[in-house]
Amino acid sequence: MGGIYWLASYPKSGNTWFRTFLRNLIDDSSAPADINDLKTGGIASSRGWLDEVLGFDTAELDPDEVERLRPVVYRWSLRAETVGYHKIHDAYTHTADGEPLVSRDATLGAVYILRNPLDVAPSVANHNQCSIDEAIAGMGDSGYALCRSRQRLTDQVRQRLLSWSAHVLSWTDAPGLNRLVIRYEDMLDDPAATFTRAARFLQVPDDPARVEKAIRFSGFQELARQEQEKGFRERPSRAARFFRQGRSGGWRDTLTAGQVERIIADHGAVMRRFGYLDTSGQPV
Amino acid sequence: MFYISYGLTIASELPLPELAVRQHGAETEADIRIGIGVVDTEGLADGRQIGPFLWVSATALWLRIPRVARFLVTGGSRILIDPEPGIDEDSLRVFLLGSAMGALLFQRGCLVLHGNAIRIGDQCMVCVGRSGAGKSTLAAGFMQREYPVLADDVVAVDGDCRALPGFPRIKLWQDVASQLGIDTANLRRIRPNTEKFNLPVAATEAGSPLPIRWVYILGSDHGEEMTLEPIRGLHRFQPLHDNTYRVRFLNGMALKPQHLALCGRLAGRIRLARLTRPRDGFSLDRMIERILADIAEYP
Repeated sequence: MGGIYWLASYPKSGNTWFRTFLRNLIDDSSAPADINDLKTGGIASSRGWLDEVLGFDTAELDPDEVERLRPVVYRWSLRAETVGYHKIHDAYTHTADGEPLVSRDATLGAVYILRNPLDVAPSVANHNQCSIDEAIAGMGDSGYALCRSRQRLTDQVRQRLLSWSAHVLSWTDAPGLNRLVIRYEDMLDDPAATFTRAARFLQVPDDPARVEKAIRFSGFQELARQEQEKGFRERPSRAARFFRQGRSGGWRDTLTAGQVERIIADHGAVMRRFGYLDTSGQPV
Repeated sequence: MFYISYGLTIASELPLPELAVRQHGAETEADIRIGIGVVDTEGLADGRQIGPFLWVSATALWLRIPRVARFLVTGGSRILIDPEPGIDEDSLRVFLLGSAMGALLFQRGCLVLHGNAIRIGDQCMVCVGRSGAGKSTLAAGFMQREYPVLADDVVAVDGDCRALPGFPRIKLWQDVASQLGIDTANLRRIRPNTEKFNLPVAATEAGSPLPIRWVYILGSDHGEEMTLEPIRGLHRFQPLHDNTYRVRFLNGMALKPQHLALCGRLAGRIRLARLTRPRDGFSLDRMIERILADIAEYP
Protein backbone atom coordinates (compact mmCIF):
# COMPACT_ATOMS: atom_id res chain seq x y z
CA MET A 1 0.00 0.00 0.00
CA GLY A 2 1.45 3.37 -0.99
CA GLY A 3 0.44 6.91 -0.18
CA ILE A 4 2.24 9.80 1.42
CA TYR A 5 2.75 11.22 4.88
CA TRP A 6 3.85 14.84 4.53
CA LEU A 7 6.46 16.29 6.85
CA ALA A 8 5.37 19.89 6.47
CA SER A 9 6.82 23.12 7.79
CA TYR A 10 7.82 26.65 6.99
CA PRO A 11 11.59 26.61 6.23
CA LYS A 12 13.96 26.62 9.21
CA SER A 13 11.44 25.15 11.62
CA GLY A 14 12.95 21.77 12.44
CA ASN A 15 11.93 19.72 9.40
CA THR A 16 15.41 18.29 8.79
CA TRP A 17 15.77 17.46 12.45
CA PHE A 18 12.45 15.63 12.35
CA ARG A 19 13.36 13.71 9.20
CA THR A 20 16.66 12.67 10.76
CA PHE A 21 14.78 11.39 13.79
CA LEU A 22 12.38 9.46 11.56
CA ARG A 23 15.22 7.90 9.56
CA ASN A 24 16.99 6.81 12.72
CA LEU A 25 13.75 5.46 14.17
CA ILE A 26 12.95 3.41 11.08
CA ASP A 27 16.54 2.18 10.59
CA ASP A 28 17.00 1.23 14.27
CA SER A 29 20.69 0.93 13.51
CA SER A 30 23.64 0.89 15.90
CA ALA A 31 25.09 4.13 14.51
CA PRO A 32 23.50 7.49 13.60
CA ALA A 33 22.07 7.82 10.09
CA ASP A 34 24.15 9.85 7.64
CA ILE A 35 22.56 13.31 7.27
CA ASN A 36 23.58 13.31 3.62
CA ASP A 37 21.72 10.10 2.96
CA LEU A 38 18.45 10.39 4.87
CA LYS A 39 16.58 8.24 2.37
CA THR A 40 13.22 9.58 3.45
CA GLY A 41 11.41 10.41 0.21
CA GLY A 42 12.38 13.48 -1.80
CA ILE A 43 10.97 16.93 -1.18
CA ALA A 44 7.53 17.50 -2.73
CA SER A 45 8.93 20.19 -5.01
CA SER A 46 11.70 18.01 -6.46
CA ARG A 47 11.81 18.52 -10.21
CA GLY A 48 13.46 15.13 -10.64
CA TRP A 49 10.53 13.35 -8.96
CA LEU A 50 7.93 15.17 -11.06
CA ASP A 51 9.78 14.65 -14.36
CA GLU A 52 10.34 10.98 -13.65
CA VAL A 53 6.67 10.25 -13.00
CA LEU A 54 5.32 12.53 -15.74
CA GLY A 55 7.67 11.34 -18.48
CA PHE A 56 8.30 14.88 -19.73
CA ASP A 57 10.27 17.91 -18.58
CA THR A 58 8.58 20.28 -16.15
CA ALA A 59 11.31 22.71 -17.26
CA GLU A 60 9.20 23.21 -20.41
CA LEU A 61 6.13 24.22 -18.40
CA ASP A 62 5.25 27.47 -16.69
CA PRO A 63 4.88 27.42 -12.89
CA ASP A 64 1.07 27.31 -12.99
CA GLU A 65 1.10 24.37 -15.40
CA VAL A 66 3.49 22.53 -13.11
CA GLU A 67 1.34 23.22 -10.07
CA ARG A 68 -1.69 21.73 -11.75
CA LEU A 69 0.18 18.47 -12.35
CA ARG A 70 1.63 18.07 -8.88
CA PRO A 71 -1.40 16.36 -7.25
CA VAL A 72 -1.47 13.90 -10.13
CA VAL A 73 2.15 12.94 -9.51
CA TYR A 74 1.52 12.45 -5.79
CA ARG A 75 -1.56 10.34 -6.53
CA TRP A 76 0.67 8.02 -8.55
CA SER A 77 2.42 7.19 -5.25
CA LEU A 78 -0.67 5.22 -4.24
CA ARG A 79 0.61 2.48 -6.54
CA ALA A 80 3.87 2.18 -4.64
CA GLU A 81 4.34 -0.82 -2.37
CA THR A 82 5.35 1.23 0.64
CA VAL A 83 4.34 4.47 2.33
CA GLY A 84 6.44 7.55 1.53
CA TYR A 85 7.49 10.26 3.99
CA HIS A 86 8.09 13.45 2.09
CA LYS A 87 9.25 16.85 3.21
CA ILE A 88 7.23 19.80 1.97
CA HIS A 89 7.63 23.56 2.41
CA ASP A 90 4.69 24.63 0.24
CA ALA A 91 1.70 26.02 2.08
CA TYR A 92 -1.42 23.84 1.91
CA THR A 93 -2.87 25.46 -1.20
CA HIS A 94 -5.13 24.48 -4.05
CA THR A 95 -4.33 24.29 -7.74
CA ALA A 96 -6.16 26.33 -10.36
CA ASP A 97 -8.44 23.28 -10.72
CA GLY A 98 -9.42 23.61 -7.05
CA GLU A 99 -7.65 20.46 -5.95
CA PRO A 100 -5.37 20.38 -2.88
CA LEU A 101 -1.79 20.64 -4.13
CA VAL A 102 -0.82 17.60 -2.06
CA SER A 103 -3.71 15.51 -3.45
CA ARG A 104 -6.46 14.50 -1.08
CA ASP A 105 -6.34 10.88 -2.29
CA ALA A 106 -2.60 10.43 -1.91
CA THR A 107 -2.30 12.10 1.47
CA LEU A 108 -2.38 9.69 4.41
CA GLY A 109 -1.64 12.52 6.80
CA ALA A 110 0.70 15.36 7.67
CA VAL A 111 2.98 16.15 10.57
CA TYR A 112 3.07 19.92 10.70
CA ILE A 113 6.06 21.35 12.55
CA LEU A 114 5.96 24.96 13.64
CA ARG A 115 8.45 27.16 15.41
CA ASN A 116 8.31 30.54 17.10
CA PRO A 117 8.52 33.08 14.24
CA LEU A 118 10.81 35.20 16.43
CA ASP A 119 13.37 32.38 16.11
CA VAL A 120 12.48 31.56 12.50
CA ALA A 121 13.36 35.08 11.29
CA PRO A 122 17.08 35.08 12.26
CA SER A 123 17.41 31.49 11.04
CA VAL A 124 15.87 32.36 7.65
CA ALA A 125 18.17 35.39 7.43
CA ASN A 126 21.19 33.16 8.01
CA HIS A 127 19.92 30.54 5.58
CA ASN A 128 19.29 33.04 2.79
CA GLN A 129 22.20 35.29 3.77
CA CYS A 130 19.88 38.27 3.86
CA SER A 131 19.25 40.84 6.58
CA ILE A 132 16.85 40.02 9.39
CA ASP A 133 14.61 42.84 8.17
CA GLU A 134 14.41 41.22 4.76
CA ALA A 135 13.61 37.87 6.35
CA ILE A 136 10.83 39.50 8.38
CA ALA A 137 9.47 41.16 5.25
CA GLY A 138 9.42 37.80 3.43
CA MET A 139 7.61 36.13 6.33
CA GLY A 140 4.99 38.85 6.17
CA ASP A 141 4.53 38.64 2.40
CA SER A 142 1.36 36.79 1.42
CA GLY A 143 2.78 36.18 -2.07
CA TYR A 144 6.10 34.75 -0.91
CA ALA A 145 7.38 31.81 -2.96
CA LEU A 146 10.59 29.79 -3.29
CA CYS A 147 12.22 29.03 -6.67
CA ARG A 148 10.09 31.64 -8.35
CA SER A 149 12.61 32.72 -10.98
CA ARG A 150 11.43 32.03 -14.50
CA GLN A 151 14.79 32.94 -15.99
CA ARG A 152 16.74 29.89 -14.96
CA LEU A 153 16.48 26.22 -14.20
CA THR A 154 16.29 25.20 -10.55
CA ASP A 155 16.20 21.64 -9.28
CA GLN A 156 13.00 22.40 -7.39
CA VAL A 157 9.78 23.85 -8.78
CA ARG A 158 8.06 26.97 -7.45
CA GLN A 159 6.73 26.64 -3.91
CA ARG A 160 4.11 29.09 -2.67
CA LEU A 161 4.78 29.64 1.02
CA LEU A 162 2.45 32.60 1.59
CA SER A 163 3.15 34.56 4.80
CA TRP A 164 4.34 32.70 7.89
CA SER A 165 0.89 33.02 9.50
CA ALA A 166 -0.95 31.95 6.38
CA HIS A 167 1.43 28.98 6.03
CA VAL A 168 0.67 27.80 9.56
CA LEU A 169 -3.08 28.27 9.18
CA SER A 170 -3.18 26.64 5.74
CA TRP A 171 -1.93 23.37 7.26
CA THR A 172 -3.40 23.54 10.74
CA ASP A 173 -6.90 24.46 9.57
CA ALA A 174 -7.08 22.53 6.29
CA PRO A 175 -10.47 20.81 6.35
CA GLY A 176 -10.45 17.03 6.40
CA LEU A 177 -6.68 16.73 6.72
CA ASN A 178 -5.43 13.97 9.02
CA ARG A 179 -2.73 15.89 10.85
CA LEU A 180 -0.53 16.17 13.89
CA VAL A 181 0.77 19.60 14.82
CA ILE A 182 4.00 19.69 16.80
CA ARG A 183 6.08 22.61 17.94
CA TYR A 184 9.85 22.81 17.54
CA GLU A 185 10.00 24.04 21.14
CA ASP A 186 8.25 20.88 22.35
CA MET A 187 10.68 18.73 20.37
CA LEU A 188 13.41 20.46 22.40
CA ASP A 189 11.72 20.61 25.81
CA ASP A 190 10.06 17.21 25.92
CA PRO A 191 11.53 15.14 23.13
CA ALA A 192 10.39 11.75 24.40
CA ALA A 193 6.70 12.68 24.54
CA THR A 194 6.72 14.78 21.38
CA PHE A 195 8.56 12.31 19.18
CA THR A 196 6.59 9.36 20.56
CA ARG A 197 3.36 11.12 19.63
CA ALA A 198 4.71 11.70 16.12
CA ALA A 199 5.83 8.07 15.78
CA ARG A 200 2.35 6.84 16.74
CA PHE A 201 0.73 9.23 14.31
CA LEU A 202 2.97 7.99 11.49
CA GLN A 203 2.35 4.36 12.52
CA VAL A 204 6.03 3.57 12.92
CA PRO A 205 7.53 1.76 15.93
CA ASP A 206 7.18 3.78 19.15
CA ASP A 207 8.78 1.65 21.85
CA PRO A 208 10.59 3.89 24.34
CA ALA A 209 14.11 2.49 23.88
CA ARG A 210 13.96 2.82 20.14
CA VAL A 211 12.53 6.34 20.29
CA GLU A 212 15.17 7.36 22.85
CA LYS A 213 17.97 6.09 20.62
CA ALA A 214 16.56 7.82 17.53
CA ILE A 215 16.34 11.09 19.50
CA ARG A 216 19.94 10.68 20.63
CA PHE A 217 21.14 9.90 17.08
CA SER A 218 19.40 12.97 15.71
CA GLY A 219 20.40 15.39 18.47
CA PHE A 220 21.72 18.79 17.53
CA GLN A 221 25.28 17.90 18.63
CA GLU A 222 25.27 14.89 16.32
CA LEU A 223 23.87 16.81 13.33
CA ALA A 224 26.32 19.68 13.82
CA ARG A 225 29.18 17.19 14.23
CA GLN A 226 28.33 15.48 10.96
CA GLU A 227 28.02 18.82 9.16
CA GLN A 228 31.36 19.92 10.57
CA GLU A 229 33.02 16.71 9.41
CA LYS A 230 31.45 16.08 6.03
CA GLY A 231 29.31 19.06 5.17
CA PHE A 232 25.58 18.89 4.51
CA ARG A 233 24.24 18.76 0.99
CA GLU A 234 21.05 20.65 1.87
CA ARG A 235 23.02 23.62 3.15
CA PRO A 236 22.37 26.60 0.88
CA SER A 237 25.52 27.73 -0.88
CA ARG A 238 25.51 31.11 0.80
CA ALA A 239 25.14 30.00 4.40
CA ALA A 240 28.17 28.93 6.43
CA ARG A 241 26.27 26.29 8.40
CA PHE A 242 22.86 24.66 8.17
CA PHE A 243 22.68 23.44 11.78
CA ARG A 244 23.29 26.70 13.54
CA GLN A 245 22.03 26.84 17.09
CA GLY A 246 19.37 24.21 17.59
CA ARG A 247 17.74 26.03 20.47
CA SER A 248 14.79 28.24 21.17
CA GLY A 249 14.73 31.80 22.45
CA GLY A 250 17.87 32.82 20.57
CA TRP A 251 15.91 35.77 19.20
CA ARG A 252 16.38 37.59 22.53
CA ASP A 253 20.06 38.09 21.64
CA THR A 254 19.52 38.81 17.95
CA LEU A 255 16.38 40.82 17.29
CA THR A 256 15.92 44.52 18.01
CA ALA A 257 12.82 45.68 19.88
CA GLY A 258 11.51 47.08 16.60
CA GLN A 259 11.94 43.75 14.82
CA VAL A 260 10.13 41.91 17.63
CA GLU A 261 7.30 44.43 17.42
CA ARG A 262 7.02 44.02 13.71
CA ILE A 263 6.83 40.21 13.85
CA ILE A 264 4.18 40.43 16.56
CA ALA A 265 2.25 42.97 14.50
CA ASP A 266 2.35 40.63 11.49
CA HIS A 267 1.73 37.33 13.24
CA GLY A 268 0.35 38.08 16.71
CA ALA A 269 -2.91 36.18 16.30
CA VAL A 270 -1.26 32.96 15.20
CA MET A 271 1.53 33.34 17.76
CA ARG A 272 -1.04 33.65 20.53
CA ARG A 273 -2.94 30.60 19.31
CA PHE A 274 0.17 28.42 19.40
CA GLY A 275 1.49 29.67 22.70
CA TYR A 276 4.20 32.05 21.56
CA LEU A 277 2.54 35.08 23.18
CA ASP A 278 1.03 35.29 26.65
CA THR A 279 -2.40 36.74 27.35
CA SER A 280 -0.99 40.24 27.58
CA GLY A 281 0.58 39.88 24.13
CA GLN A 282 4.17 39.51 25.39
CA PRO A 283 6.51 36.89 23.91
CA VAL A 284 6.70 33.78 26.09
CA MET B 1 8.63 18.89 -45.36
CA PHE B 2 11.71 16.68 -45.05
CA TYR B 3 14.36 17.07 -42.40
CA ILE B 4 17.54 15.32 -41.34
CA SER B 5 18.35 14.55 -37.75
CA TYR B 6 20.08 11.69 -35.91
CA GLY B 7 21.12 10.55 -39.38
CA LEU B 8 17.48 9.89 -40.26
CA THR B 9 15.20 11.39 -42.85
CA ILE B 10 12.12 12.78 -41.19
CA ALA B 11 8.91 13.60 -43.04
CA SER B 12 6.83 15.88 -40.85
CA GLU B 13 3.43 17.49 -41.18
CA LEU B 14 4.45 19.82 -38.37
CA PRO B 15 7.08 22.36 -39.49
CA LEU B 16 10.33 21.87 -37.56
CA PRO B 17 12.38 25.05 -38.01
CA GLU B 18 14.94 23.78 -35.47
CA LEU B 19 16.00 20.99 -37.84
CA ALA B 20 18.12 20.92 -40.96
CA VAL B 21 15.92 20.77 -44.06
CA ARG B 22 16.45 18.12 -46.68
CA GLN B 23 15.72 19.69 -50.03
CA HIS B 24 14.60 16.69 -52.03
CA GLY B 25 12.87 13.58 -50.94
CA ALA B 26 9.97 11.27 -51.37
CA GLU B 27 7.57 10.14 -48.66
CA THR B 28 8.67 6.54 -49.17
CA GLU B 29 12.28 7.36 -48.36
CA ALA B 30 11.51 8.74 -44.94
CA ASP B 31 12.83 6.81 -41.93
CA ILE B 32 10.43 8.59 -39.63
CA ARG B 33 6.99 10.01 -40.33
CA ILE B 34 5.51 12.63 -38.02
CA GLY B 35 1.83 13.26 -38.55
CA ILE B 36 -1.10 15.08 -36.99
CA GLY B 37 -4.09 12.85 -36.31
CA VAL B 38 -6.25 11.12 -33.77
CA VAL B 39 -4.58 9.46 -30.78
CA ASP B 40 -6.75 7.42 -28.43
CA THR B 41 -7.62 9.32 -25.26
CA GLU B 42 -7.41 6.27 -23.01
CA GLY B 43 -3.85 5.02 -23.50
CA LEU B 44 -2.83 1.77 -25.16
CA ALA B 45 -5.32 -1.11 -25.26
CA ASP B 46 -2.53 -3.71 -25.32
CA GLY B 47 -0.15 -1.77 -23.13
CA ARG B 48 0.76 -1.12 -19.55
CA GLN B 49 0.34 2.18 -17.74
CA ILE B 50 3.67 3.28 -16.25
CA GLY B 51 2.78 6.85 -15.27
CA PRO B 52 -0.31 9.03 -14.92
CA PHE B 53 0.15 10.16 -18.53
CA LEU B 54 2.25 7.32 -19.87
CA TRP B 55 1.56 3.92 -21.42
CA VAL B 56 3.95 1.49 -23.10
CA SER B 57 3.74 -1.74 -25.02
CA ALA B 58 6.43 -3.81 -26.73
CA THR B 59 6.30 -1.55 -29.78
CA ALA B 60 4.53 1.66 -28.76
CA LEU B 61 4.64 4.53 -26.31
CA TRP B 62 1.65 6.74 -25.53
CA LEU B 63 2.24 10.07 -23.80
CA ARG B 64 -0.13 12.83 -22.85
CA ILE B 65 0.99 16.34 -21.99
CA PRO B 66 -2.15 17.82 -20.42
CA ARG B 67 -3.44 20.87 -22.29
CA VAL B 68 -0.83 20.37 -25.02
CA ALA B 69 -1.22 17.08 -26.93
CA ARG B 70 -1.23 13.32 -26.94
CA PHE B 71 1.66 11.55 -28.67
CA LEU B 72 1.76 8.01 -30.03
CA VAL B 73 5.23 6.72 -30.90
CA THR B 74 5.32 3.40 -32.71
CA GLY B 75 7.85 0.97 -34.13
CA GLY B 76 10.71 3.44 -34.14
CA SER B 77 9.32 5.02 -37.28
CA ARG B 78 6.12 6.90 -36.62
CA ILE B 79 4.98 9.69 -34.31
CA LEU B 80 1.37 10.77 -34.30
CA ILE B 81 0.44 14.02 -32.58
CA ASP B 82 -3.08 14.83 -31.44
CA PRO B 83 -2.99 18.50 -30.39
CA GLU B 84 -5.36 19.98 -27.83
CA PRO B 85 -7.57 22.68 -29.33
CA GLY B 86 -5.88 26.06 -29.61
CA ILE B 87 -2.38 24.90 -28.68
CA ASP B 88 0.54 26.64 -30.41
CA GLU B 89 3.03 24.77 -32.60
CA ASP B 90 6.05 25.64 -30.45
CA SER B 91 4.49 23.82 -27.51
CA LEU B 92 3.95 20.74 -29.69
CA ARG B 93 7.53 20.88 -30.97
CA VAL B 94 9.22 21.04 -27.59
CA PHE B 95 7.60 17.80 -26.38
CA LEU B 96 7.86 16.18 -29.82
CA LEU B 97 11.61 16.81 -29.96
CA GLY B 98 12.00 15.83 -26.30
CA SER B 99 10.13 12.87 -24.87
CA ALA B 100 8.51 11.64 -28.11
CA MET B 101 11.74 11.63 -30.10
CA GLY B 102 13.58 10.10 -27.13
CA ALA B 103 11.09 7.23 -27.09
CA LEU B 104 11.42 6.75 -30.84
CA LEU B 105 15.22 6.56 -30.61
CA PHE B 106 14.86 3.91 -27.89
CA GLN B 107 12.56 1.98 -30.21
CA ARG B 108 15.21 2.15 -32.92
CA GLY B 109 17.63 0.43 -30.56
CA CYS B 110 19.68 3.46 -29.58
CA LEU B 111 21.05 4.10 -26.15
CA VAL B 112 19.65 7.52 -25.30
CA LEU B 113 21.53 9.63 -22.78
CA HIS B 114 20.30 12.73 -20.97
CA GLY B 115 23.03 15.19 -21.81
CA ASN B 116 24.82 16.80 -24.66
CA ALA B 117 27.51 15.82 -27.11
CA ILE B 118 30.44 17.99 -28.21
CA ARG B 119 32.80 17.19 -31.03
CA ILE B 120 36.47 17.11 -30.02
CA GLY B 121 38.68 16.32 -33.01
CA ASP B 122 37.35 13.18 -34.66
CA GLN B 123 35.68 11.90 -31.53
CA CYS B 124 33.08 13.21 -29.17
CA MET B 125 32.56 14.02 -25.52
CA VAL B 126 29.24 13.62 -23.75
CA CYS B 127 28.22 15.49 -20.59
CA VAL B 128 25.36 14.00 -18.61
CA GLY B 129 23.67 14.95 -15.35
CA ARG B 130 20.35 15.75 -13.78
CA SER B 131 18.25 18.76 -14.80
CA GLY B 132 19.91 21.88 -13.47
CA ALA B 133 23.42 20.39 -13.34
CA GLY B 134 24.60 22.90 -15.95
CA LYS B 135 24.66 20.75 -19.07
CA SER B 136 23.28 23.34 -21.48
CA THR B 137 25.47 26.07 -20.02
CA LEU B 138 28.50 23.90 -20.61
CA ALA B 139 27.39 23.10 -24.19
CA ALA B 140 26.92 26.81 -24.92
CA GLY B 141 30.36 27.51 -23.42
CA PHE B 142 31.98 24.91 -25.69
CA MET B 143 30.10 26.38 -28.63
CA GLN B 144 31.48 29.83 -27.84
CA ARG B 145 34.95 28.29 -28.03
CA GLU B 146 33.98 26.99 -31.46
CA TYR B 147 33.61 23.33 -30.62
CA PRO B 148 30.71 21.92 -32.67
CA VAL B 149 27.72 20.80 -30.62
CA LEU B 150 26.44 17.44 -31.85
CA ALA B 151 23.34 17.17 -29.68
CA ASP B 152 21.75 18.94 -26.72
CA ASP B 153 19.51 17.32 -24.10
CA VAL B 154 18.90 14.05 -25.98
CA VAL B 155 22.02 12.16 -27.08
CA ALA B 156 21.38 9.09 -29.22
CA VAL B 157 24.12 6.47 -29.27
CA ASP B 158 24.12 3.78 -31.95
CA GLY B 159 25.23 0.14 -31.69
CA ASP B 160 28.82 1.15 -32.52
CA CYS B 161 28.90 3.56 -29.56
CA ARG B 162 28.76 6.59 -31.82
CA ALA B 163 26.78 9.71 -30.98
CA LEU B 164 24.35 10.69 -33.71
CA PRO B 165 24.08 14.38 -34.61
CA GLY B 166 20.78 15.61 -33.16
CA PHE B 167 18.89 18.86 -33.43
CA PRO B 168 21.23 21.76 -34.19
CA ARG B 169 20.21 23.89 -31.27
CA ILE B 170 20.82 24.43 -27.57
CA LYS B 171 17.92 25.21 -25.25
CA LEU B 172 19.11 28.23 -23.33
CA TRP B 173 17.61 29.91 -20.28
CA GLN B 174 17.65 33.69 -20.17
CA ASP B 175 19.85 33.65 -17.09
CA VAL B 176 22.52 31.54 -18.82
CA ALA B 177 22.31 33.63 -21.98
CA SER B 178 22.96 36.76 -19.91
CA GLN B 179 25.96 35.12 -18.22
CA LEU B 180 27.43 34.19 -21.59
CA GLY B 181 26.69 37.57 -23.14
CA ILE B 182 24.28 36.07 -25.67
CA ASP B 183 21.56 38.46 -26.80
CA THR B 184 18.20 36.69 -26.85
CA ALA B 185 16.31 39.48 -28.62
CA ASN B 186 16.45 37.67 -31.95
CA LEU B 187 16.20 34.11 -30.68
CA ARG B 188 13.01 32.05 -30.89
CA ARG B 189 11.38 31.28 -27.59
CA ILE B 190 10.99 27.55 -26.96
CA ARG B 191 7.40 28.16 -25.86
CA PRO B 192 5.54 31.46 -25.80
CA ASN B 193 5.29 31.55 -22.00
CA THR B 194 8.84 30.51 -21.07
CA GLU B 195 12.09 32.44 -20.73
CA LYS B 196 13.94 29.80 -22.64
CA PHE B 197 15.36 30.19 -26.13
CA ASN B 198 16.46 28.17 -29.12
CA LEU B 199 20.11 28.94 -29.76
CA PRO B 200 20.94 27.57 -33.22
CA VAL B 201 24.27 25.79 -33.61
CA ALA B 202 26.06 25.17 -36.88
CA ALA B 203 24.64 21.89 -38.17
CA THR B 204 26.93 21.24 -41.10
CA GLU B 205 30.15 21.03 -39.11
CA ALA B 206 28.85 18.15 -37.05
CA GLY B 207 27.12 16.17 -39.75
CA SER B 208 28.26 12.61 -39.16
CA PRO B 209 28.14 10.22 -36.19
CA LEU B 210 31.22 10.33 -34.00
CA PRO B 211 32.65 7.72 -31.64
CA ILE B 212 32.17 8.61 -27.99
CA ARG B 213 35.48 8.72 -26.17
CA TRP B 214 34.71 10.68 -22.99
CA VAL B 215 31.67 10.93 -20.74
CA TYR B 216 31.56 13.38 -17.83
CA ILE B 217 28.86 13.29 -15.18
CA LEU B 218 28.17 16.82 -13.99
CA GLY B 219 27.19 17.51 -10.45
CA SER B 220 27.66 19.97 -7.64
CA ASP B 221 28.24 19.68 -3.92
CA HIS B 222 29.05 21.69 -0.83
CA GLY B 223 32.80 21.34 -1.29
CA GLU B 224 34.98 24.31 -2.10
CA GLU B 225 36.99 22.86 -4.95
CA MET B 226 36.02 21.46 -8.31
CA THR B 227 36.90 17.78 -8.43
CA LEU B 228 37.28 15.28 -11.24
CA GLU B 229 37.00 11.71 -10.14
CA PRO B 230 37.50 8.90 -12.67
CA ILE B 231 35.10 5.98 -12.54
CA ARG B 232 36.73 2.68 -13.30
CA GLY B 233 35.92 -0.92 -14.05
CA LEU B 234 32.52 -2.32 -13.18
CA HIS B 235 31.46 0.92 -11.52
CA ARG B 236 31.07 2.50 -14.95
CA PHE B 237 27.89 0.72 -15.87
CA GLN B 238 25.44 2.11 -13.29
CA PRO B 239 26.11 5.84 -13.87
CA LEU B 240 25.50 5.37 -17.58
CA HIS B 241 22.24 3.59 -16.88
CA ASP B 242 21.25 6.26 -14.32
CA ASN B 243 21.81 9.03 -16.85
CA THR B 244 19.70 7.40 -19.50
CA TYR B 245 17.03 9.70 -20.87
CA ARG B 246 13.65 8.80 -19.30
CA VAL B 247 14.73 5.45 -18.00
CA ARG B 248 11.07 4.75 -17.19
CA PHE B 249 10.32 4.45 -20.92
CA LEU B 250 12.41 1.31 -21.09
CA ASN B 251 10.19 -0.55 -18.68
CA GLY B 252 7.65 -2.35 -20.75
CA MET B 253 9.05 -1.55 -24.17
CA ALA B 254 10.93 -4.87 -24.19
CA LEU B 255 14.13 -2.98 -24.86
CA LYS B 256 15.87 -3.42 -21.58
CA PRO B 257 18.28 -6.27 -22.51
CA GLN B 258 19.42 -4.40 -25.59
CA HIS B 259 19.79 -1.20 -23.61
CA LEU B 260 21.83 -2.86 -20.89
CA ALA B 261 24.08 -4.49 -23.48
CA LEU B 262 24.73 -1.12 -25.11
CA CYS B 263 25.44 0.52 -21.74
CA GLY B 264 27.97 -2.23 -21.08
CA ARG B 265 29.61 -1.85 -24.46
CA LEU B 266 29.89 1.91 -24.08
CA ALA B 267 31.18 1.57 -20.51
CA GLY B 268 33.99 -0.62 -21.81
CA ARG B 269 35.42 1.94 -24.21
CA ILE B 270 35.14 5.37 -22.68
CA ARG B 271 36.96 7.54 -20.20
CA LEU B 272 34.27 8.16 -17.58
CA ALA B 273 34.61 10.69 -14.79
CA ARG B 274 32.48 12.58 -12.34
CA LEU B 275 33.03 16.35 -12.50
CA THR B 276 31.74 18.01 -9.37
CA ARG B 277 31.75 21.74 -8.90
CA PRO B 278 31.09 23.77 -5.77
CA ARG B 279 27.45 24.77 -5.61
CA ASP B 280 28.52 28.28 -4.67
CA GLY B 281 30.27 29.09 -7.88
CA PHE B 282 29.78 28.01 -11.43
CA SER B 283 33.00 28.93 -13.16
CA LEU B 284 32.29 27.93 -16.73
CA ASP B 285 35.79 28.64 -17.99
CA ARG B 286 37.38 26.57 -15.25
CA MET B 287 35.03 23.67 -15.99
CA ILE B 288 35.77 23.72 -19.67
CA GLU B 289 39.49 23.91 -19.03
CA ARG B 290 39.34 21.05 -16.54
CA ILE B 291 37.53 18.89 -19.10
CA LEU B 292 39.91 19.81 -21.91
CA ALA B 293 42.91 19.03 -19.70
CA ASP B 294 41.45 15.60 -18.90
CA ILE B 295 40.76 14.99 -22.57
CA ALA B 296 44.34 15.92 -23.43
CA GLU B 297 45.58 13.45 -20.81
CA TYR B 298 43.35 10.63 -22.09
CA PRO B 299 43.20 11.24 -25.85
